[in-house]
Amino acid sequence: MSLVNEIICYGTCIKASSIVIPMAIFLGLAAILFAGFTISRSEKYRLVSFSSAQSIMVLVFVMVFVAMKCSRMFTINAYILYVLLSGLIIFLIPRFFDRLLVRKLNAEPISELITWPQDFVNNLVHTAKVYYFDSAYPKAMASGNSIFISVGMLESFDDDELKAVLAHEAWHVRHNKKTPFLRQLSYMTFIPHHEDGLEAMADAFASKIVGTAALSSAHSKFMQFNGKV
Amino acid sequence: MVKLNRINLSNDGLTKFLSPIESTIMTTLWEQDDLMTVDISEKTDIPISSVAGTLDRLVKSGYAHRQIEKEGGRVRYKYTATFSHDEMAAEITTRVLDSLVDTFGSMAIENFGKYKSK
Repeated sequence: MSLVNEIICYGTCIKASSIVIPMAIFLGLAAILFAGFTISRSEKYRLVSFSSAQSIMVLVFVMVFVAMKCSRMFTINAYILYVLLSGLIIFLIPRFFDRLLVRKLNAEPISELITWPQDFVNNLVHTAKVYYFDSAYPKAMASGNSIFISVGMLESFDDDELKAVLAHEAWHVRHNKKTPFLRQLSYMTFIPHHEDGLEAMADAFASKIVGTAALSSAHSKFMQFNGKV
Repeated sequence: MVKLNRINLSNDGLTKFLSPIESTIMTTLWEQDDLMTVDISEKTDIPISSVAGTLDRLVKSGYAHRQIEKEGGRVRYKYTATFSHDEMAAEITTRVLDSLVDTFGSMAIENFGKYKSK
């Protein structure tokens, strides 16, 4: 079937089926949730409303496909293949990516240098491993179950600032298990997921653990190293 | 073997072979051993953000090496120049002359003769 015919087929089958009204209701609900996401101030509500809207959109997609009576549609098969492939990549990468990073950075367990960071993180999240890597530039990142801190950061951040950074990254590790699902949702609905809400929530967690003074001190250290004093 | 890719003949002094920040840092390291990142930033008056990135590059290229030291619960890098200033001069001279001979062969060597008398 040609592409134009497939599009016509979608129109015909949807109009002929009983899904038009439920679809309209769901789309309205999704629109309300997306609006809520845009207006809301609380990062948690934004995350929940955005994800719920995404899930509803996926439901709408499924309803449309179920309504299709035309057989052997290229667009449907292509979409299913796309979802399976992207899902495979999205869920497999977090499993192996941190091992790749350890090798690429030549990272070593931080307890070889100092013991308290790993202990501190163990109190916040069960399975996270803290590594240090060779670089004079202060940098910290989390991937999968691993947290990476550069020697440059250990050099130039004081203990409270380091705790703020570790708490922030530990929050990411806690939530890394859930993020693949959010990413998969956005691949399925073609609506990009916003990542900076996660950063704000990680910061909020950090300030709960170490206090706002330590967190803003760590932030200004970062600013200092990025040339903005 | 240090990494030496870029030569800019129109620059002054060491900056023919190294970037301005790299040259300043190397000069500082030749004056004193075992410097910390923050020491180098203070002595060269270069902001620590530029110093940190450049030190990573200098270590990677082989011009400097660093050790991680633990002092009273704190972790610090201590930097030293890999070669002395004279060893560096010999190394860079050799590399440049090698490349001239490689390109111009006996013509290059003929021209070296002019320098013996200087």
